[in-house]
Amino acid sequence: MEKTFDRSKTIKYFKRCLDLLPNNYTNLLGVLETEIPKERRDKWVNWIYAQQILPDENNPGSPFSGLPFNPNGSRISKLPFDAANLAMTYTALACLLILGDDLSRVDRHAIINALKYLQKENGSGINVEKAVDYIRKSQSYDYGVGQGPGEESHGNSLYLLNRLDEGLLSKNQTIFWLLSRQTTGFQGRANKPPDTCYSFWIGASLKILDSFEFIDFKQNFDFLMETQTKYGGFSKWPEYPADVMHAYMGVAGLSLMKVPELQELDPALNISLSAKERLKTSVIFNNN
Amino acid sequence: MASYYLEANWDDLVPIPQDDGPEPLTPISYDKECYSEAMSYFRAVALKDERSERALSLTEKIIKHNPAHYTIWHYRQQILFSLEKDLYNELDFITDQWIIKTYNLWDKELAFIDKLLDDDVRNNSAWNQRYFVIFFNPNEPTEELLAQEVQYGINKILLAPNNISPWNYVKGIIAKSKEQDISVLEGLCKELEKQNIISYHALGCLVDIYESRAKRGSIEDKNLGIKTCELLAEKRDNIRQKYWEYRKQVLT
Repeated sequence: MEKTFDRSKTIKYFKRCLDLLPNNYTNLLGVLETEIPKERRDKWVNWIYAQQILPDENNPGSPFSGLPFNPNGSRISKLPFDAANLAMTYTALACLLILGDDLSRVDRHAIINALKYLQKENGSGINVEKAVDYIRKSQSYDYGVGQGPGEESHGNSLYLLNRLDEGLLSKNQTIFWLLSRQTTGFQGRANKPPDTCYSFWIGASLKILDSFEFIDFKQNFDFLMETQTKYGGFSKWPEYPADVMHAYMGVAGLSLMKVPELQELDPALNISLSAKERLKTSVIFNNN
Repeated sequence: MASYYLEANWDDLVPIPQDDGPEPLTPISYDKECYSEAMSYFRAVALKDERSERALSLTEKIIKHNPAHYTIWHYRQQILFSLEKDLYNELDFITDQWIIKTYNLWDKELAFIDKLLDDDVRNNSAWNQRYFVIFFNPNEPTEELLAQEVQYGINKILLAPNNISPWNYVKGIIAKSKEQDISVLEGLCKELEKQNIISYHALGCLVDIYESRAKRGSIEDKNLGIKTCELLAEKRDNIRQKYWEYRKQVLT
């Protein structure tokens, strides 16, 4: 029997996870508004804002540091190790957009300053010229990209930034490195088994490099149908139990292939095109 | 009172629990007996910025539960400095490439990689490490060494002609060498063909070689290139059919 993407089981899987586990990604299914009441979504927005760290000597910290919950972030933290984190900053902003927030409580300048502070001399931070140079130096003899100079080429270090092609020694060779990762689905490194999440990492990198059309859609789709579990969600490998990360990556990988049951994904921002539209039109940043 | 799990005496501190508010986004079902308790004592002890043996052992427990907890690593580092600990004992936690650079272990490492590749010729990380040892070494590699490495790679290709790792390695070495050139691989590809060994990496390599000569005006190489692209697209590397059709189009 031909296997198909089971949208309703996937929705049920994510709803179960929302009550118990880390992550929120019903975004691409386009059902957040209908499946989750607005009141609950607004409370999640408050919870995300409660994690924001503001730049002051007497900075308000996050609940992880033991402070009482407060969505307005007005408390004083004296914990010296309570610092902001880049990955979580991105995730928080993406989740706020997905939840329909206008980012009005985000301290934009604080984030930009934190980014500058985090940039290392060798460029693994935010100055774009330096970042491009860093990618160039991290490129390996096989034209893939490692996590730093000398390191093994890896599927998710290529997925870095929009100006990717400027940092590459040979765009064509890198595209070939990416395409060579397809065995049925995609592997993250040479000689590894295919894994659900690389349908996203490699697929999104190819999209950014305008070469997604070269992949074998059917084999990629069929592999993802092998990792879709009968309880909903996706696993890393066939016959393994689903986990939230791979469930999201499976959906994201399908979305890159424009599977009709899903919203389309922006490959660089990793949010739906409709959430991206919200970022461009209704976010208060655009005015200052 | 702290549980047996935490070992040290924590009676002087009041643990600070996590307050996640009324409706946290996807609450995590923490291991309450170990992780949550350790974190509650971490909050209390880090608030005092205490640099002590008990704080050090607490960071170890939390890291074992959650190695991605950057805050704990940072706190651990500060404690190690304050207590003037022997930092060599921390090396277990640190990446191998840093160790090789810092302690000048280049020669030992190459023998170790030989063994790794003898055990598993498809170990791509070992191939990458081999390249690292040769090119990130303070001594620049001689052409003689590069020629040896090309031959080493070719021997490994002959063991398993569809193993992509040594193909990438040999091409990487040739690209760095002033004396070696891709025609070395042409000989290998033809030899495989003669022995009726099918390797799509060999065919792909031939496409590169034919294409470079076709660009310099060789009609014969252009036709050979087109034929090889067709063979790859239709038979030998069908999963990349659209890519080889594109390469064929570029040649035509």
